[in-house]
Amino acid sequence: MSSLRSSATRVQPADVVERVVDFGRVLRGAGLEVGPTRVGDAVSALALVGVADRERVYWTLRQTLASSVDELEAFDRAFALWFGGGRAGPDEEDVAQRPVFVAGPAGDAPGGRAAGADRGGYSADELLRQKDFATLTDDDRARLGELIRALARARPQRRSRRLRPHARGTVLDLRRLMRASLATGGDPRECTFRRRVDAPRRVVVLCDVSGSMEPYARAILLFVHALRQAGRGVEAFVFGTRLTRVTPALARRDPGRALDETAAQALDWAGGTRIGASLRAFNDRWGARGAVVVVVSDGWEIGDTAAIAQETARLHRESYALLWLNPLKGKPEYQPLAGGMRAALPHVDRFLPGHDFESLEQLADAVAGVAARHQV
Amino acid sequence: MTVDSIEALERALEDARYLPDRGLATALFLSLRLEKPLLLEGEAGVGKTEAAKALASALSARLIRLQCYEGLDVAHAVYEWNYARQLLHIRAAQEGTVSEAELFGPEFLIRRPLLQAIESEEPVVLLIDEIDRADEEFEAFLLEILSDFQVTVPELGTIEPRRRPAVVLTSNRTRELHDALRRRCLFHWVDHPSAEREVEIVRLHVGDAPQRLAEQATAFVRTLRTSDLQKVPGVAETIDWCRALTALGCEELDATAAGETLGALLKQRDDLEAVRGGELVALVGDARATG
Repeated sequence: MSSLRSSATRVQPADVVERVVDFGRVLRGAGLEVGPTRVGDAVSALALVGVADRERVYWTLRQTLASSVDELEAFDRAFALWFGGGRAGPDEEDVAQRPVFVAGPAGDAPGGRAAGADRGGYSADELLRQKDFATLTDDDRARLGELIRALARARPQRRSRRLRPHARGTVLDLRRLMRASLATGGDPRECTFRRRVDAPRRVVVLCDVSGSMEPYARAILLFVHALRQAGRGVEAFVFGTRLTRVTPALARRDPGRALDETAAQALDWAGGTRIGASLRAFNDRWGARGAVVVVVSDGWEIGDTAAIAQETARLHRESYALLWLNPLKGKPEYQPLAGGMRAALPHVDRFLPGHDFESLEQLADAVAGVAARHQV
Repeated sequence: MTVDSIEALERALEDARYLPDRGLATALFLSLRLEKPLLLEGEAGVGKTEAAKALASALSARLIRLQCYEGLDVAHAVYEWNYARQLLHIRAAQEGTVSEAELFGPEFLIRRPLLQAIESEEPVVLLIDEIDRADEEFEAFLLEILSDFQVTVPELGTIEPRRRPAVVLTSNRTRELHDALRRRCLFHWVDHPSAEREVEIVRLHVGDAPQRLAEQATAFVRTLRTSDLQKVPGVAETIDWCRALTALGCEELDATAAGETLGALLKQRDDLEAVRGGELVALVGDARATG
């Protein structure tokens, strides 16, 4: 930081530098990733455009200090606070109402047991496998974490457009061929080939975390976390009344902390559900193109069920396969009577329960083994 | 040309038939002066790609465009050897032996957009379009290029730029870009233009569109943007639509002509049906009242 200041003071009065550095600190407090490079850019940029015009200062700082559209709201609020004019600070109430997860279900699980390679080894595990997630104790949850991690394995594949050297390839590797034929005066003796190889297919999980789903959401997010840790290309979202992307939160290695952070980010945790609006937000903003999409929800909707039908139809069209997990389906007497569920079902490729560990095994098999729509 | 101020750049862009708002002009200006790549994000059709084209034209620079797609690799983005020519060359020189240095010389190199941009003698605007469509491997590679702006061809050595090209990246946000890439860039979110600005843009591109028609059509499109559609029309669509309406000889917006030409505006069947079957007449009425 000291080198930054000394180089910047050549072009800027010290107090401007000071102020930008402080503003950077405010932004970091608001959750933006503002490193010294960005602050340095902001200072040099202000030297170019001047500090007299408020609008210019705004654009200059925004373009140098914010790096994604998700940060703009926080940036605007911080800017208004720091440079005066308009908008009050963050809503204290929101923060206070954030729920906190029960810490570390799997991370600090008792050691000594073989981590789940033998799926049916313990009779206690056997019971646990069919225990409804809603009735789990903390101990159960810890053990379940281990079982779930053992599930994180095969991912669905897609054919990549990238060519790699391959013994049974179909495309001549001309670059290698050329080098090889140098030695023989232009006669290619041995041909090497390349072909398209398989790459992991994108998996998108959209998990309902409204009040009625809460007991199940934890276990399922644990599964998503394990899937995420097993490789790239997994996107996770939670929704109640609105959609929140939690992929970065689930990137934390420790499952307990990852889930804590996920819950902290979803301001609508354990509240009502607007499935249609949430799916729509996903379709508009992200899109499911080519992905295996897993929706986890019991289909209880407070809004319009026509929107659910429309948006699941869209998911179905754009995705590679659409799986729907409903914990209630685990109950023998279950009938999809909830309006939202009935609206969604015609567009779902595969409808699965999601209430116990065995159903997560089914899900893992379904996700990994997804071949093509008509075979699902 | 060198750009001394934001205003000068704004004027130059206007001469290139592009009307930027203040934010975008500032972003382009800073990107040039700080010599940092500019990442433009925004919904489809807000004019991200056009901005880069206009910048090239305003700077009298050559526009080099790299359209991204999944599987884009070094052979298509940076360079590839011209194998056919190499083979012919070896054949032609049957008598003597061909040295490796000869065969992997600059004349056998096919230069793809990124190498072209780095090697160019003249000023260049490098447009890396729809980076969100490329895969993560390519993004990681691009990160390297954007940090030191040089390319190493093993057989030839490191190629450094004569001058740093201006770089504009665009993304429609179908995928979240890696933080490291974002950190290399200035960031600007491109919004739809204001109503007055959009009318000006339409009139600039459809010279013979009547003022009233342009105003009403723009008002109509802006209402559509706030409504419940799968794909909202961008500025490019407003321009296309006005062109279609003008071609039909409309002086003002009317429901019949609007219904007939709606395909220029909405590209999803569901959206078309929703508007045609629903509030088309009411929307046209509203637009005529504002226009």
